[in-house]
Amino acid sequence: MRMLKKDTKIDFMSMRWLAFAGSGLIILTGIFFFITRGFNLGIDFTGGTMVEVSLVKGLPISELRAGLSQVGMGDAVIQKVEGSDQKYFIKAMQKTGQVSLEEDHEQTVAAFRRALNEHVGLVDHSSDAAGNKLDINNVSEKTLIDFFVKEGLSEEDAATSTEILLDMRKNEVGLITDFAQIENSGLKKRVITLLKEKGFLGDYTFLNVEIVGPQVGKDLRVKTTLAAVWALIGMLIYIGFRFKFIFGISALVTLFHDVLVMLTFLLVFRIEMSLQVVAAILTIIGYSLNDTIVIFDRVRDNLQLMKKDKAEDILNASVNQTLSRTIVTSGTTLLAVLALYLFGGEVIHTFAYTLIIGIVFGTYSSIFQSCAWLKIFESAFLGRKNG
Amino acid sequence: MSRSLLWKILLIVGVLAYSVFTFTPIGEKVKLGLDLKGGMHLVLEVQTKDAIKINTDQQVITLRGLLKDSSIGFESVRATAVNRFEVLGYSADMQQRVRDLLDDEFPDWSRSIDDQSAVLTLKPNIQQRMEDQAIEKAMETVRNRVDEYGVAEAAVQKVGIGSGNKILVLLPGVDDQKRVKELIKSTAMLEFKHVEAGPFQSEEEAKSNYGGTIPEDMTLYRSAGGRLGKALYVLQAATVVPGKDVRNAARSMDQYGGPAVSFTLNNQGQSKMEKYSAANIGQRMAIVLDNRIESVATIESVLNYNIQITGTFTVQEVDDLVLTLRSGALPASMKYLETRSIGPSLGADSIRKGIIASQIGLALVVLFMLIYYRGAGINSVVALLFNIIILLGVMVAFKATLTLPGIAGIVLTIGMSVDANVLIFERIKEELRAGKVPKMAIEQGFGKAFSTIMDANITTIITALFLFQFGTGPIKGFAVTLMIGIVASMFTAIFVSRVIFDLTYGRRKKLDKISI
Repeated sequence: MRMLKKDTKIDFMSMRWLAFAGSGLIILTGIFFFITRGFNLGIDFTGGTMVEVSLVKGLPISELRAGLSQVGMGDAVIQKVEGSDQKYFIKAMQKTGQVSLEEDHEQTVAAFRRALNEHVGLVDHSSDAAGNKLDINNVSEKTLIDFFVKEGLSEEDAATSTEILLDMRKNEVGLITDFAQIENSGLKKRVITLLKEKGFLGDYTFLNVEIVGPQVGKDLRVKTTLAAVWALIGMLIYIGFRFKFIFGISALVTLFHDVLVMLTFLLVFRIEMSLQVVAAILTIIGYSLNDTIVIFDRVRDNLQLMKKDKAEDILNASVNQTLSRTIVTSGTTLLAVLALYLFGGEVIHTFAYTLIIGIVFGTYSSIFQSCAWLKIFESAFLGRKNG
Repeated sequence: MSRSLLWKILLIVGVLAYSVFTFTPIGEKVKLGLDLKGGMHLVLEVQTKDAIKINTDQQVITLRGLLKDSSIGFESVRATAVNRFEVLGYSADMQQRVRDLLDDEFPDWSRSIDDQSAVLTLKPNIQQRMEDQAIEKAMETVRNRVDEYGVAEAAVQKVGIGSGNKILVLLPGVDDQKRVKELIKSTAMLEFKHVEAGPFQSEEEAKSNYGGTIPEDMTLYRSAGGRLGKALYVLQAATVVPGKDVRNAARSMDQYGGPAVSFTLNNQGQSKMEKYSAANIGQRMAIVLDNRIESVATIESVLNYNIQITGTFTVQEVDDLVLTLRSGALPASMKYLETRSIGPSLGADSIRKGIIASQIGLALVVLFMLIYYRGAGINSVVALLFNIIILLGVMVAFKATLTLPGIAGIVLTIGMSVDANVLIFERIKEELRAGKVPKMAIEQGFGKAFSTIMDANITTIITALFLFQFGTGPIKGFAVTLMIGIVASMFTAIFVSRVIFDLTYGRRKKLDKISI
């Protein structure tokens, strides 16, 4: 089977200015969005809010996630604390557009409550269903004492009753799960009646509410950037050694092109930057480099075979001869990634999306850009005057 | 069948068998990341006051030295609180000179001074900055340690904002949780201290040496046992060279052939050590690790930068010590506030979807290769399956942690790995079109594609190597998977495919046509 007709003879070199202009336009758009709007940084880069929540009755994680989706936090990280059926860690951030984590923090906690109250159907002191009743599972010590005193208990009774109730909350889950526990707690009958009448047991409580810093902090960012710079230098040296220095430069420019185009797409479509997306970008660098080197390899061969020819002809011939391979490889890779994109679910979605953009543009740049740059540096490339 | 072909087949079978042996049973051997399997949720508190105290102790020595250098007589210089120290007993006519000296050399400290004594207190904003730096440094150190231990997919995050001094560490399942926990927390606080007196058998004996109480600028230290026995030494409280000046630790052997740790000092540490040892030849110096004396040695000549700690270490202890020293000492000790196991961050549903998608991706690639390259397609599919087996085997051998994006990455590697096959097949087709006979075409196709494949893959491997060497955390993990994928695909495409071609066509005397 043949993907392409016999020996293609497409004049890619004459299209180089069009390709440069098109890519330039895309990258300029990217720069514009970068300046005006910036990246949509995810929790890996900004940090967020982490709560440890305890439920009266355990729920499947998918139900919690569904509730969080309703308030725009479907990408929250939800993890069960092992050894307990009722405790979970939830990590997320509410995109409030606030600059500081502290400001975002309050709203995130409020959003967590809203999700649990309105969309998971749990009741605590902040839900409408609570009415004016007292949430025994969440009320503070002071409020509870005040409540008892207001209801006519002596100060001493109020204090002991409060202490008993708070002690009951200090169990493994941090909640009183059943009114029967209160009835058997040794509280005065009057207090029990009072609690039954004017209080209720909240369905959940936040055991811990914390702001967590970014997973990719300054230190990691600096190190990663340095690693990338070293990687590029290493690549340049190898290509310089095996080919010519100018091939290395052209490969480098092509790589930058690919990364910038991918970043443009992330910027324009507000794709959230996460560690996954960074991994996808790195993968594409490897991929595109591979593509470019295969073509350069052919260019090197042809430079020997076509000693008398013009640079354009050598480059065109090389791109054409490798064209079916370029397309087949891109095709298989794209097939694999498309499957991930279509069937992989929410979690792999952005990863696969970034890869698709990268593969499409990586292939395009290998065909239209890498050799075009060699043409730009023609005299260094040929190592002879064009005769 | 020729002998060389037989050897090749044996090699392939060997590699496959090794890989299968390495990763089975797959459920136990392949390490799954936090997203797929969960792990440990650790919260550590950094005792930032430690860092402040160490700094204050350093300043005490500095001031002593400066006073001596400018020949100002004094009774004592000593720390009185974590962030405060005082100089006592200079003569009244020296007050102005002391004041000038303090103003010039200790700008970070606020002072109160009279005609006999001066008290220096660390300025609050400076203290805050130092505490923040201690946390930053602690986080970096923890990350380095986790990395060096080989846990690629761990997360290290600060908890709280501003004055927060807690660190959250999420560790995917590792073999020896206890060891890793110790490793993370171990301060590896290494100090070189001047020995005043010792060894003593008991505290009383040491105290009586000084008439009942140990002087304020000295401290009693216990030895860690071993050749030093259970002895006590009186050391100068102030440190000669702190652990942060240590560079490049490595395992070595002591004169008795026991495991020891060698390391070098950075420029700052070297100059301190040179100055100190030159002035103290014939005296003794102690190497103190986490407040225990590991060794005591007499200074015989000026020491510069290559130093060895001997003690009674096991090999594992030495390795852990090297790892902690290399990842940097913690600026302060840490305490575990919480240790919990947590479940996977992805629901069973997400995991299932991810795996199904990966399988579909794989199936599509296989289908494409079979349709497009027909007979030769079978060849590449076999190579591809071998590739997956080797990939899994090597990943287990390298202790790589598998996450869902990691699985997606493997699928992608597979998509890319057929590239080597594609290159070869396209070359063979080209040769056939040029009129070569099939056997020749296969020969030349492999030959010509070889250098292309090498160049393309070596370039990528170099990139990955640099990412591995200089990157941290997830980047490192990524680089490992990438390298393994490339090497495995080169092996299968160049070697395995060739053997399959030879097996299929090699024995036929007359070969007119190949299916490609």
